[in-house]
Amino acid sequence: MKESYIELCDITKVFGPVIANNNVNLSINKGEILAILGENGSGKSTLMNMLSGIYRPDSGSIRINGKPTLFRSPKDAISAKIGMVHQHFKLVEVFSAKENITNGLKNGFIYKNKQLSKEILALANRYGLSIDPEKKVYDMSVSEKQTVEILKVLYRGADVLILDEPTAVLTPQEIKKLFMILQNMKKDGRAIVIITHKLNEVMEISDRVTILRKGESVGSIETCNTNPKELTDAMVGASVNLSINRPENIKGLPLMEIENLTITSPEKVNLLDNVSFTVKKGEILGVAAVAGSGQKELCEAIAGLQKVASGNIIFNSEDIVGLSPRAIINKGISMSFIPEDRLGMGLIGSMNIIDNVILKTYRAGKSPFIDRKEGKKNALQIVKKFDINTPSVYHQVSKLSGGNIQKVLLGREISLDPELIITAYPTRGLDIGASHKIYDVINDQKEKGVGILFVGEDLDVLLELSDRIMVLNSGRVMGIVDAHKTTKEELGLLMMGMKQEVAQNV
Amino acid sequence: MKKVFTLLLVLTLVFTTLVGCKKEDGTDKPGTTSDNKGIAKEDLLIGFLYVGPIGDQGYSYAHDLGRLDLEAAGYKTKYVENVPETADCEKSIRDLIDQGCNVIIATSFGHMDWTYNVSLEYPDVKFFHCSGYQTGDNMSAFFGRMYQIRFLSGIAAGLKTETNKIGYVAAMPLAEVVRGANAFALGVQSVNPDATVEVKWTNSWYDPAAEKAAAVELLNSGADVLAQHCDTTGPQIAAEEKGAFAVGYNANTFDVAPGAFLTAPLWNWGVYYLAQMQQIVDGTWEASNYWGSMDTGIVSLADLTNNCAPGTKEAIEAAYNAIAAGEYDVFDGPLTNNEGIEMVPEGSTMSDADLLAMVWFVDGIIGSVPKSN
Amino acid sequence: MFNLTKRTNQSKIHTLLLQLGAIVAALVAAGIVMWAMGYNPFVIYTKIVEGSVMVSENAKKGGVPYRLLQTINKAIPLVILSLGVSVAYKMKFWNIGAEGQFYIGALFAAYVAFNFKQLPPYILLPFMFLSAFIGGGLWGFIPAVLKNRFNASESLTTLMMNYIAIGIVTYLQLGPWRDPEAKGFGRMPYFTENAILPKVFGIHIGFIIALILAVIIFVLLKKTKLGYEIAVIGENETTAKYAGINTAKVLFITLFISGGICGIAGMIQASGIEKTLTDQISGGLGFTAIITAWLAKLSAPIILVVSFLFAMLLQGGAYLQVSMQIPAAISEVIQGIILFFVLGSEFFIQYKIVFSSKIKEAK
Repeated sequence: MKESYIELCDITKVFGPVIANNNVNLSINKGEILAILGENGSGKSTLMNMLSGIYRPDSGSIRINGKPTLFRSPKDAISAKIGMVHQHFKLVEVFSAKENITNGLKNGFIYKNKQLSKEILALANRYGLSIDPEKKVYDMSVSEKQTVEILKVLYRGADVLILDEPTAVLTPQEIKKLFMILQNMKKDGRAIVIITHKLNEVMEISDRVTILRKGESVGSIETCNTNPKELTDAMVGASVNLSINRPENIKGLPLMEIENLTITSPEKVNLLDNVSFTVKKGEILGVAAVAGSGQKELCEAIAGLQKVASGNIIFNSEDIVGLSPRAIINKGISMSFIPEDRLGMGLIGSMNIIDNVILKTYRAGKSPFIDRKEGKKNALQIVKKFDINTPSVYHQVSKLSGGNIQKVLLGREISLDPELIITAYPTRGLDIGASHKIYDVINDQKEKGVGILFVGEDLDVLLELSDRIMVLNSGRVMGIVDAHKTTKEELGLLMMGMKQEVAQNV
Repeated sequence: MKKVFTLLLVLTLVFTTLVGCKKEDGTDKPGTTSDNKGIAKEDLLIGFLYVGPIGDQGYSYAHDLGRLDLEAAGYKTKYVENVPETADCEKSIRDLIDQGCNVIIATSFGHMDWTYNVSLEYPDVKFFHCSGYQTGDNMSAFFGRMYQIRFLSGIAAGLKTETNKIGYVAAMPLAEVVRGANAFALGVQSVNPDATVEVKWTNSWYDPAAEKAAAVELLNSGADVLAQHCDTTGPQIAAEEKGAFAVGYNANTFDVAPGAFLTAPLWNWGVYYLAQMQQIVDGTWEASNYWGSMDTGIVSLADLTNNCAPGTKEAIEAAYNAIAAGEYDVFDGPLTNNEGIEMVPEGSTMSDADLLAMVWFVDGIIGSVPKSN
Repeated sequence: MFNLTKRTNQSKIHTLLLQLGAIVAALVAAGIVMWAMGYNPFVIYTKIVEGSVMVSENAKKGGVPYRLLQTINKAIPLVILSLGVSVAYKMKFWNIGAEGQFYIGALFAAYVAFNFKQLPPYILLPFMFLSAFIGGGLWGFIPAVLKNRFNASESLTTLMMNYIAIGIVTYLQLGPWRDPEAKGFGRMPYFTENAILPKVFGIHIGFIIALILAVIIFVLLKKTKLGYEIAVIGENETTAKYAGINTAKVLFITLFISGGICGIAGMIQASGIEKTLTDQISGGLGFTAIITAWLAKLSAPIILVVSFLFAMLLQGGAYLQVSMQIPAAISEVIQGIILFFVLGSEFFIQYKIVFSSKIKEAK
């Protein structure tokens, strides 16, 4: 076996009572793509943050070329030629690509401006990245921003690239392109570390997989010697059924009809353009779209949180367009909105489970005082029913893991017996086990006759879970397809707005 | 709940212990002799209240010089600076009594009511209040006839002005201030009948920014000599900066504005303080309302500088002698107010009672006394 | 070499010990600075305690001992103002306008005191109290409306409103409301006897009002629906809207309450201490209360403790000046140093210093 470029030996990192990493061992070789696979909370991000100098290990050592090295700050990591592309981009919106790439380096943009552009373009061409150095970040698509992040790291001379969930925000076509670029880098002798929990991607791109479970490394396997089932079992620590159920859609009566819905931004841009569709009882209508295609506005408009320019939202033959959440509740309509950013909207991270559970019901009764006894009962039920892992119902929600946070939200909403569930990326950031539990809950509701609008990002999941899939592009409906018959490629093309090509292909 | 209770209990215990400890050594109470037989010098502790900081080079500074005179004579003193004319004043007086002071000297007009209130509660403590009118069994009022000196300083200003416009920065529309401005204007007119005096109010005894701003405004409207009845050197500095001249107040502040300083009416409080404390020591003290003339030395004029016009010295000496000899009083009639109404007829002069209630400006003053309704 | 690391997940006792330790460390650090300035910190600290709580013989007048009384007198407005701002802060509405709300409350109370002199105290005082609440409430309500309608930054509007309030009081004091009996001196008439708060144990009954308000605010924030809504909006306005909370309505009510309580402090100070209204009545208490509210982490019971300690510092500082004849400015500097280090110690409660030698050992 080749000599490892970087070796992490017995790394331990403790946050208060939580052991994030416990004696983790990991080696990274040049010219290799290493996937780090693990459920949420398994310590992947902590480990990588130590490798990029953001955290410091409590014990254990990092060796580079066999030499122990101490990273005091991200600067030390950069000088050791390690660079990280974070899941949430760290770019200055008003700067151009070039300014972002060279920002923070001593030979800033004052001098040899043109030469810098040339250097950047040369670097990009070497790996097949396409970039316009003068383009401002706020004008960029997600994929372009990612390119800037990657170039930023390369420009600083990184030999080791760590990518944290790089595919989460990309379309299938963009993912293909990214993988091609990663292969090029690998050929160039660089080491790539990719953090993910998508098994098909691990199988497709990586040479080797290191699996973390509950803060410990449970093993490294050559990718060619394993299969998704084996990886999942190693990751979860138990045998897991990977397929998603799709109960038959029985009733089929319309629950909510959206007619010609248009939403404009303050700058008079149509965020949603004349959108019409129907959600039926006992159906999961999937929504596929690249981020920023209007799906967020659509969900918020239905929930009464977004101003609508024109159109109707007919819920059980009653038009609720323009009503506030309060007014919708007052009409006796029970609708649950489970938004993508749960701590941003839906939950209050700094409050405990009880105070989060009572959020939609605390108003009951005329007393000016709040009834937390009822809330506690409810909270205990939800914790039990959804198997939420928490020390008590008095535990602060933000201190729970992502999956448990989502379960608190879902549990509260479902305990209200909704007729319609609107949910955007409900499994974002959750691991396979937790995700499957969420799918099961959604399917349960579907079988009860609840209508579900499901905005998803993982096309495989959408295809398996939905009855029908609506594709949005730039605020317009590109098509509503039967999930049993369509393919990922068709969805991908529709997401890119290429309707004609789909028509030709089919 | 139990924890809170325990905590309270502990606090109470600690507190009572502290209180208990203190009681044991608090044996003697200085300054509580009930007879009027006199108090030994070393048993006197004299507490001063100043409206500004002692470094104001003005009013509080002048009083502090008086306090230092007492110290030099072997008296023990304490002082509090920046005492506002609010309930805080009452608190500062009590703080001084808490320190064992048995003589309290409050130096600003607005301290009067608070001083009086406390004086009723502490019959054994002797109170002095400067510039007011309230007296009591154990509370004296004292002041000096500063208007006489202001008249003299007006002569210096009247001889100096070329634009015949003189500015006057005044603190508050109290009788004391109005009287001073009138005396000053009469002094100006005694040598320069064409000159006018414009008065601007700052509504504060000690406000460096407001005083300077008022001065600049006066200079901009054409005044070339300033005078002041407020406690900072702001007007003098403004005059120096604009190449004009200024009459100071309270202390000789030539160094602050060497190119502008003409002279200044001065307070010499030590004269009064020493005399009064001696009376207390002798057991002859009685509360009184004292208004000392310039011949007692409580008020005086600073040495004239070379900035003064030629002949100033002679003119002032002549006026001083006339007043001292009783040939002339500043407020001899006829006097008309600046609305043209005769206030003091020919042949008569103003009584002390009228002077203490003076709320009108003499002819030649531009400005008005705000009406109190 | 050392590094700062954010502390995570600590037990309550640990946090408490840490806070106590931090305060002790802050006092030591402040002591070093004092020592460098040429003052003996032991003497200074002893004097501060002596001057703020200990009994002295000279100024005793029955009831609570004199120095303690002064400390309590200073603590009363601080407690009430801190309670007032904490209601708004719970909602993350940065009300820096306690000073102005205090003045307007005092102004409304003074108006009633001057114009309804014939009323008996048991009607007049509650009337003044209510007016002060409404006055302060309105002064808090205006920035809330500006925020809601025009998204005007509340820290700016509330700050500006302070100057307007003080300006109005100054104008009235020197103009229309000037006491004609004051011989030209610029002050308002004193309140009549029936407009002055009665005393219990020699302390004006503002202290009882402060204690009652502390209980009310505690219950309001912890036990009522409104308190819950305030907290939800404060923590996450998007979630509040999502849950159907009428955020504008809660904003208006909250700011009315916040300003109203600050207004009550104004009434109590005017009636209990000053016995009239002046444009210097607050002396910056409205700003000090921001510090005490923060130090107390917006918790009503802790506000009582922190305000008392702060009042000790203020009273002790005044005592330093009188007893040691330290210039007023130096006494303020010493108070400032102590405050600086105590506030700074908060940093070490949240962060810990990790020395790199320790990290190496760990390997």
